[in-house]
Amino acid sequence: MTVAFKSAIDDAVIEELRTILGDEDRVLPNTSSRVNRTRVPAPFPVHRWADHMPDVAVLPKTAEEVAGVVRLANRLGIPIVPRAGGTGLSDGAVPLRGGIVVDVKLMNRIHELDLVDRTVTVGPGINMLKLNEELRPHGVFYPDDPASYPCSLVGGRIGTGGWSLLGARFGHVRDNVISMEVVLPTGEIVEIGDGGGRKLRKSSTAFNLKQLFTGHQGTLGICTEATLELAPRPELEFAAFFAFEDYLSAWRTTGAIACSGLATLAGVVLFDEWKLAYLRRDDEAYIPQPESVKAVVAVALYGTRAEVEPAAKIVMRLGRADGGRYLGDEISAGDWASRHDRYATPLHGRNLDGQAVIMSWHCEDAALNYSVLPQVREEWHAIVAHYRERYGIFDDWGMFAYTNGPHKPWADYLVEVDVGIWEERLDEEGWRGWVACKREISEVTLRYGGSITACHGATREGDAELVPQEMGSAWQVVKAIKRALDPNNVMNPGKQMLDEAYE
Amino acid sequence: MAQRDGGGYDPNGDGRLQAEFVERWRTNAYGCFSSGHKFCREVCPVMQVTRNENHTPTAFHANIVAMDKGLVDVADVADDFVHCTQCGACELRCPNTLFTGDFYRHRTRTVDVVKAMRALMVATGNEREGYKLWNERLAEAHSEPVLGDVPVSQEHVADWAHGLDIPVGGETILFVDCEAAFYRTSYTRAFAQLLQRAGVAFGLMREQWCCGGPAAEMGYADLARTHAEHNVADWRAVGAKRIIAPDPHDYIAFTEDYPSYFGESYDFDIVLGVELVNDLVKEGRIALSEPVQRTATYHDPCRLNKRKGVHAAPRELLRAIPGLELKDVDHVTQWSYCSGGGGGLPVEKPEITAEISRRRVARAQALEVDALISACPWSERPLTQAGAEAEQPLEVLDLFELLAQSAGIEVGGHTHVGERATT
Repeated sequence: MTVAFKSAIDDAVIEELRTILGDEDRVLPNTSSRVNRTRVPAPFPVHRWADHMPDVAVLPKTAEEVAGVVRLANRLGIPIVPRAGGTGLSDGAVPLRGGIVVDVKLMNRIHELDLVDRTVTVGPGINMLKLNEELRPHGVFYPDDPASYPCSLVGGRIGTGGWSLLGARFGHVRDNVISMEVVLPTGEIVEIGDGGGRKLRKSSTAFNLKQLFTGHQGTLGICTEATLELAPRPELEFAAFFAFEDYLSAWRTTGAIACSGLATLAGVVLFDEWKLAYLRRDDEAYIPQPESVKAVVAVALYGTRAEVEPAAKIVMRLGRADGGRYLGDEISAGDWASRHDRYATPLHGRNLDGQAVIMSWHCEDAALNYSVLPQVREEWHAIVAHYRERYGIFDDWGMFAYTNGPHKPWADYLVEVDVGIWEERLDEEGWRGWVACKREISEVTLRYGGSITACHGATREGDAELVPQEMGSAWQVVKAIKRALDPNNVMNPGKQMLDEAYE
Repeated sequence: MAQRDGGGYDPNGDGRLQAEFVERWRTNAYGCFSSGHKFCREVCPVMQVTRNENHTPTAFHANIVAMDKGLVDVADVADDFVHCTQCGACELRCPNTLFTGDFYRHRTRTVDVVKAMRALMVATGNEREGYKLWNERLAEAHSEPVLGDVPVSQEHVADWAHGLDIPVGGETILFVDCEAAFYRTSYTRAFAQLLQRAGVAFGLMREQWCCGGPAAEMGYADLARTHAEHNVADWRAVGAKRIIAPDPHDYIAFTEDYPSYFGESYDFDIVLGVELVNDLVKEGRIALSEPVQRTATYHDPCRLNKRKGVHAAPRELLRAIPGLELKDVDHVTQWSYCSGGGGGLPVEKPEITAEISRRRVARAQALEVDALISACPWSERPLTQAGAEAEQPLEVLDLFELLAQSAGIEVGGHTHVGERATT
């Protein structure tokens, strides 16, 4: 079995890294550089922080530098972990076996803006909000809009196969990255697209490699450049929030709007009563709402005025057809505008006594079909309630379901249950409890024909061991690809059970 | 040598100071650590340049948790904490503060954490050389070494006022920042003459020392306090009731640092220069009649906009200047702008300050303006240099100087002294 191990990187390796980068300041073996590239916002076994520290971080500026570092790692069998924003909600950028963290934040340039063939080519270290600031004067935008929009970086979005709040209208990362440059685990620099052609959206030549290199969680290579979609800036943005007195009415309304056939539909979001209770702990939007409100459906339309205005009328009709009550322009526009910031604040954490304690946010996501949402919701909440009661360090922050299919939002959903974790009190027993809770949630997902992650990645303990089960007969294909591209298992080793490829 | 004893580094080997620091800031740190949103990052002017995760506000807080867990000590993180201009953008952009801060009375404090860590660095023998030298010279001259190797002294602290017939003492005192007293004297001359034009009575201090704010920002807490005590004693000795602070940095020191030193006995009325002048213009006591034919944009100084929420008064003043075409960028967008001139950054990392200013000037140039206007002398030095060095040079003007011009005042003084001064 070939398994890259937690290595002790010696002075010779550091020296070689310095030679490759040609800049001492961008090779960082010091403690604080390692400590600060260990975790991501997902719950972290803070009591075992040191177990996850890399041995050194490097800050390359070019694909050639990345390739040099990867060749060195591949030659010596040193684990290598790509890191962009480090804002993921799973473990993609968390080193499991030390090694070299390749931090791409300095690769944040816009290389080319092509307003004729409608692409922008960027380094993986650029943030979407910053990119869109530059694109705005040209009447175009890059429509990747996750909750982490103000801070996550293009490279990490590609690595995790990110999901966008506007995906129903504009697609997700896999749809909006047209092609990319990737450094393979053996150090070659390759151009990856649908087929060939850096700016082509559709090809049937050879294999569609682009999807293979989207969402691999840093286990197949490091993206060093990406050519992205430019969508026309929407002339009009419309949001409407509807309140319901029961979940099933809200669920039916969600389905009706998702199936409306409106091309401008950017997304539908279903909040359940646990989520509303969480937001009521202090949220300007929901405190004034009566306790009878048990679910909310949020709808967003993006497009030209000629399309959106008549579509909005249809949404208003559908939203009210099954008992929904429109929450008004102020909540609708304001809440949608603050969608990146509002839904998970650590200050809303509550212990078993109902006291406010600071908790970190874990967003357990899955992809599930529309038909099973009510049953899954009940089972997930029951699992969280059990662990909350037993350990006293968890808190149920409610559930969302979001339209998930790119350009075809009608039948499957990104479903998340948000769980608060009191990290200050976390010890090994609590961590084990958390992992077990997570695994039970994922098992429910699989039982209902779902996928254990729609967007965050199945890299974390509790999810990872279920990857072979979910992949089923395709698991052997996954292992063969991993082994072929990464013969020495140096690229982000230990993730997603891919060590099995080397058994 | 640094010693680890489980409690962290301490020259006495007991780790007490570090443990106290962690105890003081642990909950605040967990608020950020648990959020993990990192929305602060892309607005951070230093992070925008270095792209180094160690230099992010989230890392500053994570370091405290890591310290609590015995993973790092002061020596390990000292250099990281130099990478901050204390502009406050991160605190504004913190989702904890934005959405639930009012309810929980919680505001993520990052500027104070940086100041406290730098104080811990001084207390534990982890001083930075640049800061150390700078503060040694402050301790000798009682004015900041803003002229680099050219000495500053009490003897010359009021030279800027030559010919303006400003008395010493009185109920209202004009406090003059060191940068504006020695380096950009035109700033202070313009401001003082605007007040004189409006008939505002004010005097100078008998002996004006540095406000102490920059020393506090660099972690030299005792030195900062010594200067504060001197200044307050001087104010009291002349019966001062009201202190006018044209410089935003002084305004921060007088409204945040000084009250923390002196408590309730500190009862001075602190007046911000730009707001005072705006009131005087609105009351018709300063007539802006000379056209200024410029197309300009305004740089929101961090300590006005981000730290104090002052963004309306400067814009009202600019719009009151006849002939001036203002191509404005809103103050929220400017949360992510900075000159890099504050928080001691240019003392230790002048190359980062220069790059922050270069980028700020480039943003102004993209608006096709012929001037960038600021209202803070600390920003004006690096911005002016960046403007001069740009491929298409851009003039950097000061708001008070421009107002004085429009009021028909011959300002005098100088906008710079020789080459860029360093410590």
